[in-house]
Parts: sequence; C-alpha cells; structure tokens
Amino acid sequence: MNQAHIDQYVAGRMGEAEACAFEDYCLANPEFARQVEYEQRLKAGLALVARGSTAEFVRSNDHPLRWNIAAAAAVLLSLFTMYFVWGHYFPPSAKPLLAAVTSESQRSGPALRLALVRGNENAPVLPDGSVRVEIVGLFDPGFHYSVGLDKLEKNTYDTVATLYSQHPTSPVTLEVMIESDKLPPGTYSLRVRKQSSDEESLDFSFVKF
Amino acid sequence: MDFVPGGELSRRIREGDVSAESELIRQFEPGLRVLLRRRTGGDHGLLQDLVQETLLVVIQRLRGAGIEDPQKLAAFAAQTARNLAIASLRKAERQKTDVDTDATDRNADPTQNVDAIAGDLEAALAVRALLRELPQARDRLMLKRFYLDDHDKHIICQEMDLSEAAFNQALSRARKRFRQIIEERGFAKRDLLSLGL
Repeated sequence: MNQAHIDQYVAGRMGEAEACAFEDYCLANPEFARQVEYEQRLKAGLALVARGSTAEFVRSNDHPLRWNIAAAAAVLLSLFTMYFVWGHYFPPSAKPLLAAVTSESQRSGPALRLALVRGNENAPVLPDGSVRVEIVGLFDPGFHYSVGLDKLEKNTYDTVATLYSQHPTSPVTLEVMIESDKLPPGTYSLRVRKQSSDEESLDFSFVKF
Repeated sequence: MDFVPGGELSRRIREGDVSAESELIRQFEPGLRVLLRRRTGGDHGLLQDLVQETLLVVIQRLRGAGIEDPQKLAAFAAQTARNLAIASLRKAERQKTDVDTDATDRNADPTQNVDAIAGDLEAALAVRALLRELPQARDRLMLKRFYLDDHDKHIICQEMDLSEAAFNQALSRARKRFRQIIEERGFAKRDLLSLGL
C-alpha cells in the first residue's frame, strides 16, 4: 500500500472490495493507519474551514505583527479572567479540587461511576464531600493520562482543574478524587486524554447540585 | 511498534493475559478509526462509540469462543466494525421521524454540536494554522482543489502549471506540517468553540 492508495481511499474513489482490503491492511499496520487518519482529518478540516469561507484559500498572508499583538492581548485578558474567577470561586484551601486516588481509605467514601453511554440523557449527579470518581472506558495501562475538569456554560467551557500523569487502575478504569463541596452548582465534564498521543479526548459529563 | 501476530494475541487473551488485551487495543484502534470514520459521516461521538464497541466485542469473543482462524484476527476485527456500523445506520434509519427542522435548529444546543464534531473542529483549527503558514496562495489553492474539489492530480498540475514533482513535494510538506500542528498544539475545547462553526 502506498500514498496513491491513501489518496484514492480518502477521496472515496475505491471500489468496496478494494476499500475493504485497504481497511484490513490498516488494521494490521497501525502506523500506516495513523497516516491515513491524518489524511482523513486534513480533508475534514479543509471542508469545515471552507464551509466558513473559501477566502482563506486565496487571501494573501496577514501581517504577522498585528496577529501577534492581538494574541498577546488575548492571553493577558484570559490570564486576568482566570485569576479573577479562580479567586472568586475557589479560595485557597488544603485539599485540591481534583486529585489522584492515593489511599485505600478514599475508597470507602462517596463514589461516582462515569461511563460513555450512547443515548443516556440523564447526566449523573456528583455527591457531596470527597468523591472518588471511577471513569469507565478502554485505557492503556502502559500510558499516562491527563484528566481535565471543565465547567460547562451555555456557549463556553472553563477548565477549572487539570491532573497529569494518571495511571489507569485497570484497562477499563481510571480513578480520580473530586472535592465536590468546592464546586459551585452546574454542569461539568471530565476530559480524559492519553498523553503523548494524537488520540482525541473522551468527555464524561456530570451535574453538581 | 512491532505487530504481534493475531494467533499469538488470540491465544494470550484466551489465557487471560490482560496485557495482550492492551496490545490488541493499541494495534487495532488506529485502523478501526480509519474504517469507522468513513462510515460515520463525521459524527465524532458515534465514531468513538463504535471503536469502543468493536474492541469490546473482539476482546469478549477472544476471551470466550475465540475465532475460527486466529491468523485473520485483523480481518475479523475489521468485519466486526463494519457490521456494527451497518447496524448503527439501520437503527438510526428506523428511529428517523418527521421533524420540524426549523424548530430543531432554533433549539439546538451548540455544546452538543461541538461534542459531535469536536475531532473535525480540531482538524479545522490545524488547517487554519496551516493555511496561515503556507507562503504561497498557489499551495493553498492546490490543497483545496485536491482535497475538497477532488480534482485529479494531473489536471491540477496542468492547470496550475506545476510539475508533478513540485505538486507532490508541496502536498507532502503540507501533510507533514498538518500532523505536526495537531501533535504540538493539542487544541482545547474552548479553542474549538471560538471557531464559531
């Protein structure tokens, strides 16, 4: 298999039998499959950008300095906002909002199990106190995972805490501790991402009353 | 990564070796994503669900009855994914009802939409970054014609007065840079919302 085959497959120009053989080859060759997936994503990304405007493809390059100043201003504004929001909602305290499970005693307290269930419309409710959250999915015990806690608003997300280098407890579970009493009421999402990989994150929503 | 033969993986999983299950996930997940991406029409949530479902079905089968020809484990996993994708499509067809499309659009939750296509939005941000970096308008136009308009390479070369070598080189550079941008930046959800698509 070579680049010409990838081009044909991504463009949808392969017959069904040939496409099936190509897919079987992808399953047997993960690195080749990653290359194909980047092509698929490039095509999908181009389609989305073009949906906004095809002007992006023909305009001349913008003035980089102007964009740099705008980016720097946006970063400063974001930092100030984060500082304000953090200070307002989460005053300093001994226990972190999001932490690893470090002792067996934490397993006897309140717990919440989160799984990706298609069609499930009722978000699970986070109990009060120090809650052990068991995230159910397919994890690779040989890798580290990052876990981000986002507060979901109508049109935006605020990341309120992030934990890095977490090891799954088993190939199907990863656990973290959440200090529920420190969270204002609202809808939240735990974002789990395999570190050092290009895989997309998994999101698990829950509600805090 | 070396590919572990299907026969050996099947045997180890049947014997309860958990690390063999992890190896199977590592080896098959990229290929399953390719296969299912083509069959899920850009629905990122459905793609992830079907990848997981396929891996669970394959692992459970190997833990239990096993498969007829363990050497063909990759083909078995691929066929399982195709069957699940077809079943999911049929289910969606059955559940289709007449709806007031305007009302649905008015009441649509933008955050759910973001979840469904988050993977493609990430790609769109990377594409934007890539397009900004490409020094020549000709290269940007070439990408559009090749990937979006599905024009034949030879016709593009002819009409844009490009040699095939120059075309391949520019395309290869763009692919490589796109991958680098995605790997380096790891876009956050709030970036995706800012795209406003």
